[in-house]
Amino acid sequence: MLRHIAGHMAQAVLLLLSVVVLIFCLLQLIPGDPIQAMVGDMPVPPALRASLEQRFQLNEPFLQRLYGYLVNVLHGDLGYSMNYRRPVFDILAERFPRTLLLAGVGYAFGILIGIAIGIQSAVTPHRSVDRAWSSLVLIGYAMPTFWVGQLLVIVFSIHLGWLPTQGMGPMVSRASGVDWLLERATYLVLPVATYTILETTRVARFMRASVLETLEQGYIVTARQKGLSRREIIIGHVVRNSILPVITVMGYSFGTAMGGAVLLETVFSYPGVGSLMVESVRARDTQVIVGVVILIACSVVVMNIVVDLLYAWLDPRIRVSSRQS
Amino acid sequence: MPAEPSVLMSVPQSLSRSRTSASLDLLRRLFRTRFGGVGLIILVVISALSAFAPWFASSGPMDLGSPALQPPSWQHLLGTDSLGRDVRSVMLYAGRSSLTIGFCAAAMAFLIGGTIGALAGYFRGAVASVLLRVTDLFHTLPAIIIVLFSVSLMGSSFWLQVAAVALAIWPIEARIVYGQFITLSGREFVLAARAAGLSTFHIIFREILPNALPTVIVQVSLDASTAILIEAGLGFLGLSDPTVPSWGEMLNRGQEFLELAWWMSVFPGMAICIAVLGFNLFADGVTEMFNPRASAVAPKLDS
Repeated sequence: MLRHIAGHMAQAVLLLLSVVVLIFCLLQLIPGDPIQAMVGDMPVPPALRASLEQRFQLNEPFLQRLYGYLVNVLHGDLGYSMNYRRPVFDILAERFPRTLLLAGVGYAFGILIGIAIGIQSAVTPHRSVDRAWSSLVLIGYAMPTFWVGQLLVIVFSIHLGWLPTQGMGPMVSRASGVDWLLERATYLVLPVATYTILETTRVARFMRASVLETLEQGYIVTARQKGLSRREIIIGHVVRNSILPVITVMGYSFGTAMGGAVLLETVFSYPGVGSLMVESVRARDTQVIVGVVILIACSVVVMNIVVDLLYAWLDPRIRVSSRQS
Repeated sequence: MPAEPSVLMSVPQSLSRSRTSASLDLLRRLFRTRFGGVGLIILVVISALSAFAPWFASSGPMDLGSPALQPPSWQHLLGTDSLGRDVRSVMLYAGRSSLTIGFCAAAMAFLIGGTIGALAGYFRGAVASVLLRVTDLFHTLPAIIIVLFSVSLMGSSFWLQVAAVALAIWPIEARIVYGQFITLSGREFVLAARAAGLSTFHIIFREILPNALPTVIVQVSLDASTAILIEAGLGFLGLSDPTVPSWGEMLNRGQEFLELAWWMSVFPGMAICIAVLGFNLFADGVTEMFNPRASAVAPKLDS
């Protein structure tokens, strides 16, 4: 088991390093003056140019620059944002928890509801129920993330006036304690709901297919012949075995959720890393863009490790085979 | 039963006839699946609507003649936008660029991913592990992030945008083609071709690829839907080519007017949704056609 984990960890670290190298190589491809690109659409004073040249070892050979860059990244030095006039690391540290809160809560709800719908849709004895769920899921799957957000805003904020349209909290707030928390929570409802809807459709589709496959296995026939009730079969045999493949796609689907943050945070003007990315692309603030890309790659890789561990814990076959080897 | 003389005497004609009847048969089988036919009809209809946009539109995509922000009415079925354009007309023209990106990016992703997957699957060993590592590398990053990154580096003219989207979605294609090669290259007909001394080129393109086709068609169709969604996102962020109207770009314009003119956002979004649904249903249908078990009705638990 330890070896299994260590192997995955090593692979993950290697993958992350290659992401950073890839990004570094892509940055070399930008046509024009690299310092101008770093600074953005602003004139570059000679003193700044000299210091940047020295800092990024622009006059050194390629491999040495790459090494210097990797060392900087490993020390958490992701550069300086010319747009925000702050170190990139600080901006990310401030914004990432907000994105994690939004995407994490939506992701968790989505997985739970999606698994429930997937099972219900696959085992229901009524074909019409399955059809209804499947059609809903198909339509949900085809909707662009941010458009769902816009629809929810039109209905719940503009027409019904129940919830705020955008932001993370009111400009001026007199509330405190529990009221303050509740006030903040109202701002989270719509973005989290959007996330949940999208994640639900993704998981439900997968879960339904997986349950259908499990139902054809020999052990289900055996369980039925042993005289177990429908409920016992579903809870004891079907769910546990069907969840495994769904868990494997969770890591990748977390990446998609993080990608969705870019669009959703823009719809709701939510100050997370997604909207940061968009603002930086507009301002051509390359250092921040690279920082966000590295951060998202890290979070996806970490999530994949978590998924691997979860998988090993849930599936005794992996535990046993890694113990024997 | 005696052979029909016409078959024996005019081989070319009967060959061509059997090919049409074979494709008709494929169509019939597609329409017998749960959703495949619906998907194909959706795709044909929206492609025709935007290809022949001038016939169905009441005004050009840049005609500013009408009063701005009119709600849907008999004169303007889907309302007018903030610049006084007829939303229905703009939507028809915008479909051209959105669908073009969908088809072209998917085709390009297939060329990149298919080549890499085929090379890895055919040669195995060190070649495969290097190629698969590169694939993983791209697969780690969410597609929209790759697209934003490349657009920020290279700019956002229309064809650069297509390339950026293809760059983001090829890894899945590579994985699928690789998987197909692994499965198929162990089969008897490939071994026979190899034993007969046929060239690598012949084996890849004549033996393995045609058999991988159903799976590849499904994936290309899903890729097209992903590409349309990514384009929509890019356009919504205001980062697509500003000179080309697209559904995403319409949503970007609508975001400002959510309170005043819901129709500016709701209808273009619906168009995206329908196009994506068309591609997904078509892919579902093809899967079901070639692998009926994948969508077989579940055996009853308590029977």
